[in-house]
Amino acid sequence: MYLTLAWRNLWRNMSRTLITILSVFFAVLLANFMRSVQEGSYSKMVENMVSFFTGYVQIHDNGYWDEQIIDNSFEVVPVLEQLTTEDKEITSAAPRLRSVALVAHRDVSRAAMVIGVDPEKEQLVTGLKNKVVAGKIFENGERSILISDGLAEKLGLGIGDSLVLLGAGYHGSMANDLLPIGGLVHFGNPDLNKRIVYMSIETAQEFFGAPNRLTDYALQLDDADKSKEIVKSLRAELDTSTYEIMDWEEMTPELIQMIEADRGGGVIFMGILYLIIGFGIFGTLLMMTAERKYEFGVLVAIGMKKWRLGLVLFFEILFMAALGVLLGSLFALPLVTYFHFNPIEFTSMADAYAEFGIEPILPTKIDPQIFLSQGIFVFFITIVMSVYPLLKVLGLNPIDSMKA
Amino acid sequence: MRQFTHILWAIGLLILSIPVTAQNAKDIIRKAEEVRRGVNSAQGEMTMTIIRPNWTRSMSMKSWSSGDEYALILVTAPAKDKGIATLKREKQVWNWLPKAQRTMKMPPSAMSQSWMNSDFTNDDLVREASIITDYDQAVLKDSVIEGRTCWKIELIPHEDSDIIWGRVVSFIDQKDYLTLRSEFFDEDGYLVNILNASEVKVMGGKTFATRMEMVPVEKKGHKTVIEYKSLQFDKKIPENYFSVANLKRVR
Repeated sequence: MYLTLAWRNLWRNMSRTLITILSVFFAVLLANFMRSVQEGSYSKMVENMVSFFTGYVQIHDNGYWDEQIIDNSFEVVPVLEQLTTEDKEITSAAPRLRSVALVAHRDVSRAAMVIGVDPEKEQLVTGLKNKVVAGKIFENGERSILISDGLAEKLGLGIGDSLVLLGAGYHGSMANDLLPIGGLVHFGNPDLNKRIVYMSIETAQEFFGAPNRLTDYALQLDDADKSKEIVKSLRAELDTSTYEIMDWEEMTPELIQMIEADRGGGVIFMGILYLIIGFGIFGTLLMMTAERKYEFGVLVAIGMKKWRLGLVLFFEILFMAALGVLLGSLFALPLVTYFHFNPIEFTSMADAYAEFGIEPILPTKIDPQIFLSQGIFVFFITIVMSVYPLLKVLGLNPIDSMKA
Repeated sequence: MRQFTHILWAIGLLILSIPVTAQNAKDIIRKAEEVRRGVNSAQGEMTMTIIRPNWTRSMSMKSWSSGDEYALILVTAPAKDKGIATLKREKQVWNWLPKAQRTMKMPPSAMSQSWMNSDFTNDDLVREASIITDYDQAVLKDSVIEGRTCWKIELIPHEDSDIIWGRVVSFIDQKDYLTLRSEFFDEDGYLVNILNASEVKVMGGKTFATRMEMVPVEKKGHKTVIEYKSLQFDKKIPENYFSVANLKRVR
């Protein structure tokens, strides 16, 4: 009975109801969008780091991460190669041999990151082939190389030209060679894009004078959230005095710290947003109570129990809040989806983002968790705000309210 | 009155004696630099041994130099590195990469990096003999190194110089003006590198330390040793010998 009454009451004054619903609606829409953008930017950062570079889990020679030199490489042993076939959670493993080297053309030289990879296996972990923008990728054992287009531009080189490389080889040898450029890769991160050279693992092993050696195994997992578990099981399985096993969070602590700090700032921002939302809803409820003062007065005067009236009023607010939250989430979904697939591009802040190694685009994150939590939160705010009209009704003096 | 004059004299002597010591330090350094430069204008053969906790690597080299400005160093062994050559012209360094058949000029960013993977940096190679003009010198005390009495001299770089060290302490032999030991401190006063010279011999008619040892103090088990096998001083090497074109040809 109360419910029916409340429902009918709602549509008695359509515009008033709509205003209240709309204020909840926009609150939910805004909160959802804000959070999706924020979480989306974090996911993008992680994705940049993980899928462009580190992979989710890496195995190195113990001590490599602190001193990333070719001397801290390890020998390929069957135990490591069997990892992917034995462990179903590890979908693929990409062997790499990498170090820094000077690269030059004519009188221009720069420091670059030289990465020896197995093209097929690397494809499964970081999708290297998708980054090739011109020419083609090398086969295993081929001498042709890929360089980032930013580096090619700096050195004035193109496909078909050759790149001079000089680096520190294994155990103090002088690694030097002239390698033909077979293709160009592009990285969204402008800093990375200026200093990347890919070659086949065999070519890298020959270049660095480190036959059958690797600096890291990058592992791809079928579920990213399992990286902690995988690290744990690998640490139990492998000899940890020889190998170090790290997940992406350990390898990029500054990224995690940055995200946490930013999220902290986000909480304050969201707090302010909630405050504004809360007062907006409070305003409409206040208006409603004032408008219906006479009505309430009459009802109480003809014998309606105050608490019954209050209950009807509470249900009204409940309905409006639920409708607002539902509609808000419903409308936020296509909005967030649109910006997920058509990310906002930065032009003015591109440099600042480049510094952190992030592509200057901002896709939203589609996460039911966000919708649920924001919906519940705004709903909750509305319910809390309903205390005011309820108190008003319970403390109602019918004579006074009808006088007005 | 007489006593007062004595005191005046004493004070006067005291004031005079300070610049005298400073002058001495400068003279000592200048003389040591002359000795060092003399060794530099030479051609010879040497070996460089890089020592690391897990491995050692020995390279044989030929070197030509003229004063402090020009030097050419060619690796003759082992086979893998044979033919790699380094040219130093004033403040610039080029490398000849035999496998690539190309020269490579070291970019400024690579100057502080290791030279041929040793504990010497490219900067160590090109460091000008500005030790007299860019530093303030002071004699600290005498000490004995390798059985030779040395002046211990403290060198503090001028603030406007581009010297990366906060302080350098040199030990210069009082007999032959050989720099037998240099200690390099960073700006926070921490000892970073020690350069030891020893095995004083007469080679090519000159007396000098034929063994140099660079020890990075912070890195345990790291060391680079350069030993001269032979040196000749009599031949004058023309400046155009130290050209990029010759870098490719030199054998």
